[in-house]
Amino acid sequence: MSEPKSRREVFLKLGLGAGVAALGAQAVASLRSLVPNVSYDSPTTVKIGMPNDFPDGMKFLPDERLFVFREGKTLHAVSAVCTHLGCTVRAEALSAPETKDVSGKPLRLTHRFLCPCHGSKYAGDGTNVSGPAPKPLAWYHLSLSPDDGQVVVDLARAVERDFRFTLA
Amino acid sequence: MEKRTDSPYPKVDRPILAVVGVLLVISCALFVWSDRKHDWRYYQATFRAQVAEKLGAEKAKLLRPGLQQVWVADLKRADRCMTCHQAALWKGFETAEEPLRTHPAGPLRNHPVEKYGCTSCHGGQGYAVDATEAHGPVEHWEEPLLGKTLGEAYGLVDDKNAAMQMNCNVCHRYDRETKGAEAINLAKKLVTERGCRACHVVNGRGGSIGPDLTNVGEKAAEQYEYGRLSGQKTSFAWHVAHFKDPRALVPETVMPNFHFTTKEAQALSMLVLSWRRAPVPADYRPGTPRTDPQTAAEVETELKMKTGPGAWFVKTGCFVCHSIQALGVKSPAQIGPDLSTAVEDVQSRFGRTLDDFLREPTGTMSVVLSRQIILTPEEKAVAVGKLREAFAEYQKQKAEDAKGKKPAASIGAH
Amino acid sequence: MSVKPDKAGSQPHGAPGVHTKPLWSVRPASDREAGDAVVSNFLLHWFPAKTYKPSLDWNYSFWLGTASAALLLLVTVSGLPLLFLYVPSVERAYGSVKDIEYVTTFGFWIRAVHRLSAHLMVAVVFLHMVRVFLTGAYKNGRGQGQKREQNWVLGVGLLLLTLLLSFTGYLLPWDQLAYWAITVGTNIASSIPFVGSAIRELLLGGRAIDQATLIRFYVLHVIALPAAIGVIFLYHMWRVRKDGGLARADRATLLPEKAAEAPSKTKTYTLLGVARGTSPAVKASTLERADTTVNSVPDLTRRILIVVLAIFALVSIASVFYHAPLEEPANALVTPNPAKAPWYFLWLQEIVTDTTVKIGSFTINGAFLGGVLLPGALVFLLTLWPWLDKSAPGSAGVWFPKDRRTQNAVFLAFVAGVLVLTFIGTFCRGPYWHLYWPWQAWPELPTRI
Repeated sequence: MSEPKSRREVFLKLGLGAGVAALGAQAVASLRSLVPNVSYDSPTTVKIGMPNDFPDGMKFLPDERLFVFREGKTLHAVSAVCTHLGCTVRAEALSAPETKDVSGKPLRLTHRFLCPCHGSKYAGDGTNVSGPAPKPLAWYHLSLSPDDGQVVVDLARAVERDFRFTLA
Repeated sequence: MEKRTDSPYPKVDRPILAVVGVLLVISCALFVWSDRKHDWRYYQATFRAQVAEKLGAEKAKLLRPGLQQVWVADLKRADRCMTCHQAALWKGFETAEEPLRTHPAGPLRNHPVEKYGCTSCHGGQGYAVDATEAHGPVEHWEEPLLGKTLGEAYGLVDDKNAAMQMNCNVCHRYDRETKGAEAINLAKKLVTERGCRACHVVNGRGGSIGPDLTNVGEKAAEQYEYGRLSGQKTSFAWHVAHFKDPRALVPETVMPNFHFTTKEAQALSMLVLSWRRAPVPADYRPGTPRTDPQTAAEVETELKMKTGPGAWFVKTGCFVCHSIQALGVKSPAQIGPDLSTAVEDVQSRFGRTLDDFLREPTGTMSVVLSRQIILTPEEKAVAVGKLREAFAEYQKQKAEDAKGKKPAASIGAH
Repeated sequence: MSVKPDKAGSQPHGAPGVHTKPLWSVRPASDREAGDAVVSNFLLHWFPAKTYKPSLDWNYSFWLGTASAALLLLVTVSGLPLLFLYVPSVERAYGSVKDIEYVTTFGFWIRAVHRLSAHLMVAVVFLHMVRVFLTGAYKNGRGQGQKREQNWVLGVGLLLLTLLLSFTGYLLPWDQLAYWAITVGTNIASSIPFVGSAIRELLLGGRAIDQATLIRFYVLHVIALPAAIGVIFLYHMWRVRKDGGLARADRATLLPEKAAEAPSKTKTYTLLGVARGTSPAVKASTLERADTTVNSVPDLTRRILIVVLAIFALVSIASVFYHAPLEEPANALVTPNPAKAPWYFLWLQEIVTDTTVKIGSFTINGAFLGGVLLPGALVFLLTLWPWLDKSAPGSAGVWFPKDRRTQNAVFLAFVAGVLVLTFIGTFCRGPYWHLYWPWQAWPELPTRI
């Protein structure tokens, strides 16, 4: 007599227990809705202008947070995002530009970079010199857009510091 | 032992509670199923398998799983079409069945997906991720996919896909001819040939006998009178019938019957429906003027400077600082002295001849001629020659002025 | 069978009122443990220790009040994720709701739960009010210090707040329904003589429906009104306890006393659970007779759990199949045809349609008569009714008592009127507000392409 009763008991408890567990599962699963499935971010490859828009020396692009340097026919792009905590660093022109070997290639350094947030300092090639910055500023890949001939930067593609984009 | 009151309730209520528990478990299962049931999961798996088979497992790994979205901030469009239409930008699936077919490369060359999205051309509901709601027609979304299904429903003559050209012309409305938009091109030709502008304002100019058609595509469907229209009650159907026989729909109209063929009437209907007040940024619309308009006099002066006797100085860039009145060159900045009298002026300022000064300039000109405007010795000779001509011209004009002024002054004296 | 007064020391489990189980006893071994479970648990402390059996009947209250509370809980919980997902801006509101519908994991389900439980809440709160009216449950029975009429007024307030929450809620997606509902709703307010246009301007935050309007309704929907409904709901529950539970429990006092029972001198936890002298003076011996009451834990709590969980389960299941509607983006240039309010306002829309009156050269706008005066008068009458009802206290807590027959009939006539008008508005009105049979097809509405 007592055995079927206790089995019934187990079923009743199981029913309610599973139900409450299911309710909890739904509540937790609903939190999945807070993880975005689609992105409204701006694309990482951006057309930044015709080669002629970049004069010799440095040009700052605030939208992309990027310094584009031109030396004759070669271009390279250095990120303006501080590697410490993401503030935008400012460029300061050097009174006496110098040429240095960077990753085996000579590079004319015309500026240095200062971060307004926590005082990190970077040399003109992006090397972190002082302050809390843990690593050098990133360099990004440049190319020429085949359709309209604009310079294209790929902000998702960091490159080594011997990268130079040479205009034809 | 303490007393416990007997209760009749547990016997019935506890099984009910257990049933409710089972219901909750069912609801949880349904809830998960509702998220998994979407067709795009099937299409993505299929396409992954196809890529792996055709192009190798390495390539298949490049496919990002999950919902895909193209967000075009300029057009405020978030299109999720490529969630199913996975092959759109892949090469090698040109002959496959939709939704896993490669998009024709031609239109994409000038209309990259990241700048235009999908729905700005194709129509449909970009937000949706299921075919029914994305393609339409569906309640509460007035832009169905402008594709073959719609073309067949309207019995479009020749090209069943022509309806999409309506969206082409939202941007291309000022083009005379748009590559690939044959129906719209035909309609634009008809607008010129049949003289629609005699009565209607089209793209900003025309007569006032008929209504202004500049934004007629914006007119709400319910604003048309459908009383005499048989068949589909849509703005498009109304326009087709109206183009074929205006008086049949609006008896009191003065619009003549042009006896358009069905194809022509359909093309014209697409054209007028494309005339919308679409919030398209100017750089999406070819033909939209991007400079402030010039007056005829300004255009003439500019032309004279570019082609007249002083053209050489304009081309070289001297005109940025120097006017040369005698040769009709007017400097926008006028920082330097007028060069009409340079032959004399240089002599008096620097005590050197013009040739000598240009060969070895001093002051500002030394900076300009060494950095910004670099001239070969031959070019310098040309400059000197032309400046001599300018001086001669200047003296001639001065003499004429002196002659002309005297009688004028004597008249004034009377 | 008698309850022994607790003696310190006779219980090895602890002092009186100290419950030794970690949460509460699902199956208390004794009445004492059941009572302690109520007192020592935060979630249960608003329940009495013992419940009068007939109050638990399914077919007396139909548990509509509990159902309303369950729906309020559900609508609040489902609103939380939506708070993170919805963007209250004219440019982005519609897109964010489309995103919730299409690309947020479980987003459409969460929105459907929110919508469905809100709709159900309107219906259930209304039915709860009908039940309370028909059983005369706003009447004070035999207890002293009962103020059930106050609780009725709170209830009317809760009904109005429920409607306002629904109204402000369906404005937020910024679709055609939202835009034209604000237009109509605020124009009803502006039909009030003298101050109308000022009220409308205050509601809209300007003279046009724009961002200022959206943010006002948003703040009302997510902060002001929920806070109000929460506070009044708690007060409503507290009054139920103060007034001695359901009106039906008053009837326990009519039961004959069993003389043989030893009178208990000290009762820490009576049926009414109120230790103050102002509590209804119901003789505890009658109330706590074993054949008339059961322990609240677990018999009352179990039934509450059944109602709450069943509602969660049913709404959750229905929401998988129900798609919360979203119309075209708001368009000031085109009024939808027909432009219908949600179903619970359609009786008002019907009245507004039919109440523009001409007296000589003088015209009273239906908006004022049907949209302000008539509903205002109904709410006024409803609020005052407990003071107008002169029936005997014995008619409290009984379905269809003889001496309330007339007022119940009149009330039901009003309810029927509202239901009929709602039905007509929902099923019989087509384009241009013309009448159609529910099975009759509407004329085809033109579309663009």
